[in-house]
Amino acid sequence: MNVVQHAADRFMRWAFSVDPSTWPHAWVVYLAFMLVAAVVAVGFVALFAGPVTWIERRVAGRIMSRIGPNRVGPQGVLQWLADGIKCFLKEDLVPEGADRTLFRIAPYFVFGGMFGAFVVLPFGVHLVAADLNVGLLYVLAVTSLVVVGLLMAGWASNSKWALFGGVRSAAQLVSYEIPSAFALMTVILFAGTMSMQGVVAAQGGFPWDWFVFRNPFLFAAFFLYFTAAIAEGNRTPFDLPEAESELVAGYNVEYSGMRYLFFMFAEWANLWIMSAVATVCFLGGWQIPGVSPAHVAAVEGFAFVGWEALSFVIFAAKASTLVIIVVQLRWTVPRLRIDQLMFTCWKYLVPLSFACILGVLALMVVVRDGGTVDLALRAALLIFGFWVVVEYARRIRRTYLADKALYERMEGKKLWYPPYRMP
Amino acid sequence: MTPAEVAVRLRTRFGDGAVVAVQDTLLDPTLELAPERLHEAALFLRDEDDLCFDFLRSLAGVDRKDALEVVYHLLSIPRRHGVALRVKTGRDAPRVASVADVWPTAEWHERETFDLFGIVFDGHPDLRRLFLPDDWVGYPLRKDYTPPAEYHGIVGTREGSAPVTRAQVAGRPQVQAAMHGAKAEELPGFMRVNMGPHHPATHGVINFLLETDGEIIRKASPDVGYLHRGIEKLAESNLYIGTMPYTDRVDYLGAIFANHSWALAVEKLLGLAVPPRGEYCRVIASELNRIASHLIATGALAMDVGAFTPFTHWIREREKINDIMERICGARLTYNYLRFGGVARDIKPDVVDTIRLWLDHFEPILREFNRLISDNEIFVRRLADVATISAADAVGFGLVGPNLRASGVDFDLRRDAPYSVYPDLEFDVIVGKGFRGVVGDCYDRYWCRMLEMVESMKLLRQACDKLPEGEFWAKPKVVKPAANEVYAAVESARGELGAYVIADGTDKPYRAKFRTGSYTGLSIIQHQSPGLMLADLVALIGSLDVVAPEVDR
Repeated sequence: MNVVQHAADRFMRWAFSVDPSTWPHAWVVYLAFMLVAAVVAVGFVALFAGPVTWIERRVAGRIMSRIGPNRVGPQGVLQWLADGIKCFLKEDLVPEGADRTLFRIAPYFVFGGMFGAFVVLPFGVHLVAADLNVGLLYVLAVTSLVVVGLLMAGWASNSKWALFGGVRSAAQLVSYEIPSAFALMTVILFAGTMSMQGVVAAQGGFPWDWFVFRNPFLFAAFFLYFTAAIAEGNRTPFDLPEAESELVAGYNVEYSGMRYLFFMFAEWANLWIMSAVATVCFLGGWQIPGVSPAHVAAVEGFAFVGWEALSFVIFAAKASTLVIIVVQLRWTVPRLRIDQLMFTCWKYLVPLSFACILGVLALMVVVRDGGTVDLALRAALLIFGFWVVVEYARRIRRTYLADKALYERMEGKKLWYPPYRMP
Repeated sequence: MTPAEVAVRLRTRFGDGAVVAVQDTLLDPTLELAPERLHEAALFLRDEDDLCFDFLRSLAGVDRKDALEVVYHLLSIPRRHGVALRVKTGRDAPRVASVADVWPTAEWHERETFDLFGIVFDGHPDLRRLFLPDDWVGYPLRKDYTPPAEYHGIVGTREGSAPVTRAQVAGRPQVQAAMHGAKAEELPGFMRVNMGPHHPATHGVINFLLETDGEIIRKASPDVGYLHRGIEKLAESNLYIGTMPYTDRVDYLGAIFANHSWALAVEKLLGLAVPPRGEYCRVIASELNRIASHLIATGALAMDVGAFTPFTHWIREREKINDIMERICGARLTYNYLRFGGVARDIKPDVVDTIRLWLDHFEPILREFNRLISDNEIFVRRLADVATISAADAVGFGLVGPNLRASGVDFDLRRDAPYSVYPDLEFDVIVGKGFRGVVGDCYDRYWCRMLEMVESMKLLRQACDKLPEGEFWAKPKVVKPAANEVYAAVESARGELGAYVIADGTDKPYRAKFRTGSYTGLSIIQHQSPGLMLADLVALIGSLDVVAPEVDR
């Protein structure tokens, strides 16, 4: 039972004093609630995709030793609104010789593909639009619509540069879907379900209960999925379909105004989707440490809202951390060449993902859950993961301190930003 | 080997008639060759072991009013000696044999000379105008040239322009710009794409006409001239010192070097000596500018292969150099710093301290930059073994500076044709060794520039320490050199930047020609491009460090 149905039932009992399971007009209320939920979800996508552009630009600014947008609203947090309004006011150009119909509908394919994935993403204990029993398969399938949209945009633009971008994206997305799907397959095998909520329920709140630290092959699968998802999201180092310095802007080079915004929108939304899927499948999703899902599901009244909000915050924190890592990655590494991109996928990621599946299967058969070997593996992986996090923080600190010392020596004054001010 | 000895060799080989005259009185002694002997003499000069003139520095047309001339400045990199050749041809229907098959770099030089002087080069593979549009009437660098009163509806403002007659317009060839070339259906299996003139990877307004099979390039032909300002024509109508600000604009990323080559040429014509402090000021400004230019070159290359962050870090450091340059000469980009006989302003002791402070500041940042990008595996794989230029190609196409040295040719004007106070300073010449791939690949060109920055820092430290007291400018009373001609070159950030100046006894040059590194660097792209991928072409252009205004001048 999802949160929308739950709320609709409560609403009917309270407003009409009827039993929703027997009342003949219940479907009207359900439909109304579903529509409201859909609007809220679109709003959430917008609300997420918007501020993430601001976060990305501020993080990029810090990495590039400049400031970034800080004029619209406090610290520039409303920059995305200004950009959005600006884009809506721009003229919607269709180039001469373009296939007008395809050119116009291509952004909706891209956006639809991205938005469709939000349906099954579980944001909290009950915060899911539809907990499909084939949730993960659905995510993989519906995001494939993006390829169609990108290829359509590239081809319909009547621009050779856009065509380059469209064909590149088709080749890239189709290739990278294989390792990403196989990496998720390990999770499906381990959890025994394709339902997103089921996968979350199979994990626990503490890191040692997360799938990523359960066995070495799942650990590897996490990184495989993450790499492949970055490629599917056209992010650096796999941003070949856009490739500013080669193709100028790739498939969306001829777009302007709102339609251009839809591509951007989809890109940022995708950032959230890939982070959310990685969180659900490997990092324990919305699981609250020390509290069992059954306990949360049983509470009623105001406390219900509190637990729900807490689970959402935990989920959002995990996903946002991944988002920031992707952003940092984008502004650090160069871009691969198209042959190197294909080489990476077919010669490394695909065989490795196969190996991960076999490895997970073997360990599931050999290692008894909760046995000594299992605990030893978990402990080792946890220590390794902890070391990765510490090393990551240490490197950032070292770079910050070195830059601070250099700045203060050269300029003779204090560095203008403190270390904790992230963006 | 002196030019006189070269003349003796040529006369013994081809008979006395081959060399019409040896002009010893010039600062650069010149051999005037019989036009019909030019091509075989060129081959002889290139292939004979003790002559070995493998490098064509510059090819300039000159309008002598009674005749047209083509002047070739040759250099032998293995033998370290040079000679200048001269060929005369009539004004009506001027024809000279092409040497494009002897020195491939001559192909572009001859196109330029055809464009601006109307000299037809027999045997040239592709003789088209280089800078001006194909339907332009007249040859601008000829002395009797009058600018047209109208061009496609654009009215010429200069008085005395000849009105355009209907007959001239009718006889005009159709506009055949590169982007209106053969349509795709004329190239079965290939796609024709214009890369530029507004494309982020072309570093300025240059157009590359690509013929591609998907991602793989069959041919990339550069189309230049979008930034042609005609500095050579401007120089003819300006006082010698009046041309100095124009030289800033030759290469806006390394303005000092064009200043320097112009000052060097005029000082040679005047026989003027520069006081030691002036020379040191020049070296300090040059080396700061070299670092600034290499910062842009390496940063932009990183940006071309997809990493944006290194570029902004380098821009930050370049700002600090700009601040220092501002304190030295009052300008941040176009310095106009050098004067004949010295420099315009002294370098104050507090600026010297700032330079030292900045050098200490910059060293760790260089290491940080290497951690960030130079050692990045993706970056290395994008550049190593890509677009390798062999040493023979590099010399033949007249590549200079870091591009030439990255191909394994150990040649640096600062050491091998010393000027200024470089002989007093210690530095190493960086030569490509195949640091991550093979000699002459994109990574070598990148890494040579990175190492050259370290050498420039070494030079700066020495120059700051040795900066002598005294005058910084021995100002000449009049700048009116006697009739003579000279070719003076400096090692700019993009390699040899030469000024070929002919003085005729007045206060304006009779002819001035600038030979730049980007120009020859760009001309090799068509030769290198077949088989590259689109992304490799971007890396190649970036690694050659082409600056558009330096190509077009």
